[in-house]
Amino acid sequence: MPLFGKSQKGPAEVVKALKEAVNSLEKGEKKAEKAQEDVSKNLVLIKNMLYGTSESEPQTDIIVAQLAQELYNSNLLLLLIQNLNRIDFEGKKDVAQVFNNILRRQIGTRSPTVEYICTKPEILFTLMTGYEHQDIALNCGTMLRECARYEALAKIMLHSEDFYNFFRYVEVSTFDIASDAFSTFKELLTRHKIVCAEFLEANYDKVFSYYQRLLNSENYVTRRQSLKLLGELLLDRHNFSVMTRYISNPENLKLMMNMLKERSRNIQFEAFHVFKVFVANPNKPKPILDILLRNQEKLVEFLMKFHTDRAEDEQFNDEKAYLIRQIKELKPLPGH
Amino acid sequence: MSENTNNSGEDFGARCSEQELSNRIFSVENDDEPINAAENAEIWLNDGHSTDDLDVLGDDLGTGNINDFFHRVDSDQVIYQPKKKRLKIIDNRYVMGDLLGEGAYGKVKEMLDSETLCRRAVKIFKERKLRRIPNGEQNVQKEISLLKKLCHKNIIRLIDEHRNPEKQKLYLILEFCVGSLQGLLDSAPGKKLPARQAHGYFTQLLDGLEYLHGARVVHKDIKPGNLLLTLEQVLKISDFGVAETIDLFAKDDTCYIGQGSPAFQPPEIANGAESFPGFKVDIWSSGVTLYNIMTGKYPFEGDNIYRLFENIGNGDFKIPDEIQDPLRNLLAGMLKKDPTERLSLRQIRQHPWLTRKPPPGDYVVSIPPLKNDQFHNMTVLPYLIEHYYHADEPCYDEDGNMTYSETEYVTERQLNAAAENQKRLEQVNGNSQSNQSSSSKRNRKKRPISCMTVRNLSMCKQS
Repeated sequence: MPLFGKSQKGPAEVVKALKEAVNSLEKGEKKAEKAQEDVSKNLVLIKNMLYGTSESEPQTDIIVAQLAQELYNSNLLLLLIQNLNRIDFEGKKDVAQVFNNILRRQIGTRSPTVEYICTKPEILFTLMTGYEHQDIALNCGTMLRECARYEALAKIMLHSEDFYNFFRYVEVSTFDIASDAFSTFKELLTRHKIVCAEFLEANYDKVFSYYQRLLNSENYVTRRQSLKLLGELLLDRHNFSVMTRYISNPENLKLMMNMLKERSRNIQFEAFHVFKVFVANPNKPKPILDILLRNQEKLVEFLMKFHTDRAEDEQFNDEKAYLIRQIKELKPLPGH
Repeated sequence: MSENTNNSGEDFGARCSEQELSNRIFSVENDDEPINAAENAEIWLNDGHSTDDLDVLGDDLGTGNINDFFHRVDSDQVIYQPKKKRLKIIDNRYVMGDLLGEGAYGKVKEMLDSETLCRRAVKIFKERKLRRIPNGEQNVQKEISLLKKLCHKNIIRLIDEHRNPEKQKLYLILEFCVGSLQGLLDSAPGKKLPARQAHGYFTQLLDGLEYLHGARVVHKDIKPGNLLLTLEQVLKISDFGVAETIDLFAKDDTCYIGQGSPAFQPPEIANGAESFPGFKVDIWSSGVTLYNIMTGKYPFEGDNIYRLFENIGNGDFKIPDEIQDPLRNLLAGMLKKDPTERLSLRQIRQHPWLTRKPPPGDYVVSIPPLKNDQFHNMTVLPYLIEHYYHADEPCYDEDGNMTYSETEYVTERQLNAAAENQKRLEQVNGNSQSNQSSSSKRNRKKRPISCMTVRNLSMCKQS
């Protein structure tokens, strides 16, 4: 091997070497330090094949294709992710970069890595549990969001049992991890409109019982973010049937009315945007109408004084005036 | 005028005083006819300059040989400069730049937000003109309230609005774009784009449309002229004048009115259907747009609107032979006569032409230059310089020829360095040498700073 200059190892050799190194790292043998070093070194080699360096161009398509094939055959992607916590700091970042690059690879209209991961969904599930471990959560987050760009992968994640863990991850005490988890969570629920709508419809009860907990969270940020996302989900035309279902449930209305009175003005404001849908509904079910009628005067009075300093926001004022008018004109259903 | 101006005026006068006065040439406001010296004098005096200029003039003339001064300018020596750039500030905040485009309602100009220093565009509506357009005022109002609700990368963002009741003008301050897809096509060979570039714009159009449809908005007037481009090649859907919002509780997307541009209207509207599914209208016109940017032609044409609508209504069109599958198949799917058979946004996204990025072509069509400036430099700056530095004075080199030096900017750091340098020189050489050192300071000041260039700012050079 030349003293200076790049190594001439081909993809097959690098992948093999990396796999061996990760395996011995996993076993925690006495030569752990040596293994750690080998992992880092080979990861850099793979990364340079894909991205090139300041001196060299990325490798040709043929080499990259060989590399990808080796990665699939050796099952190395899963192995790397499973052992991500054992790899050093730079190595973790390299794994994410290699993973995301390989994921984006296209042959014609096909995305071979996406197809590969579809046959190995453990990769996705392992990545999702990455949020449980502080030291790898953010690396897993970047890989997950890259996966979420593909409809097929997003669908697998949404429909897996592990998805419901996100309701826990978005509340963890470490703020950066909770935020990262929330952005992945939001991406999964909003990116592929039709897949999301189908998912929400099919799993309405389960999803919204979990969602209710977020809205009642102790954590202000969780409460506010989840309320805002709820508004976005309900007002998206794709989720029409989810919205009609949501606004027929009197429990949801009560929750929103309580949130209108929260201490935080931001939460009040977000709650207003969900509350307005209940009132604007031209076909209010009886339980909803009953609640509104029972509180008719109080609501009108409350809304009159609600965020009166937002004089600049014409749209808000129009909507508020509309709601006040609607509530004033509410009448019990005939025959009652 | 601020103190700043006065200072620079004096400075300017001091520098000019060394010039041979007889060589003065006047700037003339947009006047094509040669004018004689007396008129020149009038223009000079009525130029709207502060009295500093007159003082300068007086100083320069010394004991008032004013007649000689004017008589020595022959008409062929008069150099006509473009219209002076008068500084205009809207709402105490937005500084006007050059014209970007013009429409039936009014003009679009570039502007600078003096608070955020962001480049913006302003759409200026003249209420008088607006009243003459059927539904004009109503549509603008609708557009404003709609734009306020929308927030997406591929939708033009409304930053602010401002009314001037005295001038009867309405200003909509929008994100800055350098041109439209139509402008790009007009400058492109064959009026079409290479596949890779078209693919990039079309995917952005789909992103924007998906967001719009999710927000229950039917645009109804998708066409290259309404798709704007930023300097970063981001596509922005604009012009929501005829857009319609579907009611939150409507069961489906049925619309009743079609008002878009005829060549981009679907058969159901051309045939005068009473109601039609709204979102599929946008799919159709996106299909016509894609056809147009890929072939340089339109799928349906006609000598007049009746013929055009007849052709669209029949739904028969030809795709040029050079368009191969999968694009051919995509266009056929988007331009299905029956809206229920027409592809949905999701189907388009999953179409092979979208999932496979076309290989890079031999060329990329770049946005045509505005007034010969292919880099699209900010046009607000000259107005500011004109206003604060009296740049309308021509200047001369040693031989008395008029020159327009490139604008030179000086950073505070350079000024400090120059001052320091001068101090050092003074210490070394004593005060007798101060003349020399001041010239070295001047040299430093003249170093241009490359990140900004401005045409037409003239300065007097020291001889």
